[in-house]
Amino acid sequence: MSTNHTSGAGSATHAKKAEIFCQDEARVDWHSKALWMLREKRDRAASSIPEWEQLRELGSQLKLHTLTHLDQYLEEFEKNCHANGIQVHWAKDGAEHNQIVHKILAEKQVKKLVKSKSMLTEECHLNPYLESHGIEVIDTDLGERIIQLAKQPPSHIVVPAIHMKKEEVGDLFHEKLGTDAGASDPLYLTRAARAHLREQFLSADAAMTGVNMAIADKGAVVVCTNEGNADMGANLPKLQLHSMGIDKIVPNLDSAAVILRTLARNATGQPVTTYSAFYRGPQTDGEMHIIIVDNGRTDMLQDKILAESLKCIRCGGCLNTCPVYRRSGGYSYNYTIPGPIGIAVGAQADDTNSIPWACTLCGSCSYVCPTKVPLDKIIHHHRRLKAKAGKLPYGKRSYMPLVGNFMASETMLNCSMSVARTALRILPGAVLKPFSGAWGKYRELPIAPKSSFETWFNKNRGQ
Amino acid sequence: MSSKQSILHALKRVAVEPQAMPEINVSPRLDDVIGQFETNLGAVAGTLHREAGLSGLQAKVDELIAQGQQVISTVEGITGNRTLPETAHELKDIDYAVIPGDLAVAENGAIWVNNKNLGHRVTPFICENLFLVVKADTVVANMHQAVKQIGLESGEFGVFIAGPSKTADIEQALVVGAHGACSLNVYLT
Repeated sequence: MSTNHTSGAGSATHAKKAEIFCQDEARVDWHSKALWMLREKRDRAASSIPEWEQLRELGSQLKLHTLTHLDQYLEEFEKNCHANGIQVHWAKDGAEHNQIVHKILAEKQVKKLVKSKSMLTEECHLNPYLESHGIEVIDTDLGERIIQLAKQPPSHIVVPAIHMKKEEVGDLFHEKLGTDAGASDPLYLTRAARAHLREQFLSADAAMTGVNMAIADKGAVVVCTNEGNADMGANLPKLQLHSMGIDKIVPNLDSAAVILRTLARNATGQPVTTYSAFYRGPQTDGEMHIIIVDNGRTDMLQDKILAESLKCIRCGGCLNTCPVYRRSGGYSYNYTIPGPIGIAVGAQADDTNSIPWACTLCGSCSYVCPTKVPLDKIIHHHRRLKAKAGKLPYGKRSYMPLVGNFMASETMLNCSMSVARTALRILPGAVLKPFSGAWGKYRELPIAPKSSFETWFNKNRGQ
Repeated sequence: MSSKQSILHALKRVAVEPQAMPEINVSPRLDDVIGQFETNLGAVAGTLHREAGLSGLQAKVDELIAQGQQVISTVEGITGNRTLPETAHELKDIDYAVIPGDLAVAENGAIWVNNKNLGHRVTPFICENLFLVVKADTVVANMHQAVKQIGLESGEFGVFIAGPSKTADIEQALVVGAHGACSLNVYLT
């Protein structure tokens, strides 16, 4: 594999990690195409709903409403959960979340936990924490199970093993699950995983899932999957746990309906996920726990622009459309969540200060977002925040102010552009190329126009 | 200060101006809702049986039992060859489960199933194949109408089921039958 599997606190910049991914050009093309297929499916699903734009606007407004009344809704949610026999816990950060989960599991002497996909538990690094305390954690979403067996983090929030080829999955399953050597048929491999994971569901002591929505006035959580793994998990053992960020709250069932209509359509182009399950209490003789997690979200709410990133419903639509994500891979972002939304919610944690620049500001992500998160605006804002904090990446720190002064001076700009036009005409490319830096690596130098635009304008359109 | 208190305290300082809750008023498409439902159920890999009714379903169940399949039914009027076991885990060898749906949604092919009708909550997921029975007059146009009608009492569990279990996690190839049921047939009554 040519991909770089390191993540978390990154030691290399986005550009450096992207370069590693880009070494295998065929894989980059394949990756980009797979994701663009999802984008096309999304477009077809969106355009089949005449009220699509109305749903996006409603999604945006209801999430903004909830985020600006979050304290009331969280308290209402907790009160209603209690009335439904659900136990509620609060965690200010990932460490506290993990401790709470471990305490619940330890009290019940849980040896094996089946987990359904949850980006929040990835964000909190729950698996290694529980494993270090002797609890076996089985990720049950097929994509998650694949990368868990391969000891990798997810590279996409909806299709976590999108970077892997079926032959690689075949080799992995042959080694770990005993499938036939050389077998790479997705149907055969999926059936093998089904048999393997059924044994896990049937022998687990507890189940844990993420939460797509938490409904305040009902005290219920909604969990969406296509595979049914969350429900096979949560409905077999008597102990079920659900982790949710504070931003997952919606006021009522009417608002949940709006989001259910856009979530799957925008993610994979399906009209709705196969299973949209509503849990409003534990099963008979069972226990249900919900852990409400902050982990930096309240800080983001204190910045007017960053706050809007919490409208996100984690459909992954922005990743699929992003020209940078598609060509740099999920592991280049120095954060659990890659792509535009990953930059929006993860840029502050990026110690290389490079991921706000993993973006062309093309705005495609904002255009497809089902809750109108202004992703390009947020990413641009992160650049300003990095500059203000004196954390511009190496290079940008020194030359950007110079570029600013240069662009602001008409005389200097005109003079050097004239020099550049002449140079492009008379000097050989090999001499000029080094001056174009990384830009020129995969591009030809432009053909110089005869004169500047200003000269042309004055001659043809001027007074 | 407890974590709850510190989170709630921090939430007093949200930078965005308080926004009003929008009015959710989306016009339903009411032309041929059953036809819409059939099309969308097909799109999510389910099959609709419009004419067979309960007698057609019982005939199908009898045929399956004759083939040696394990069939459990929680639908009144449909008899399988298995009774509800004590524990959910004992359902692991069920080949077919027959379950009533409370309502169906035309725009996406989803059927709402409530745990009152399941025996065990896991029944529609653990079975190899699923039959759902839906009354024709319970088909609504969209999710906005559906959530106005779904029953979800305190302590309950309910689920919208749209087709058989599926995944496309290996190279985006759609495979029907991941963890849940491998097929879904819906009988309209």
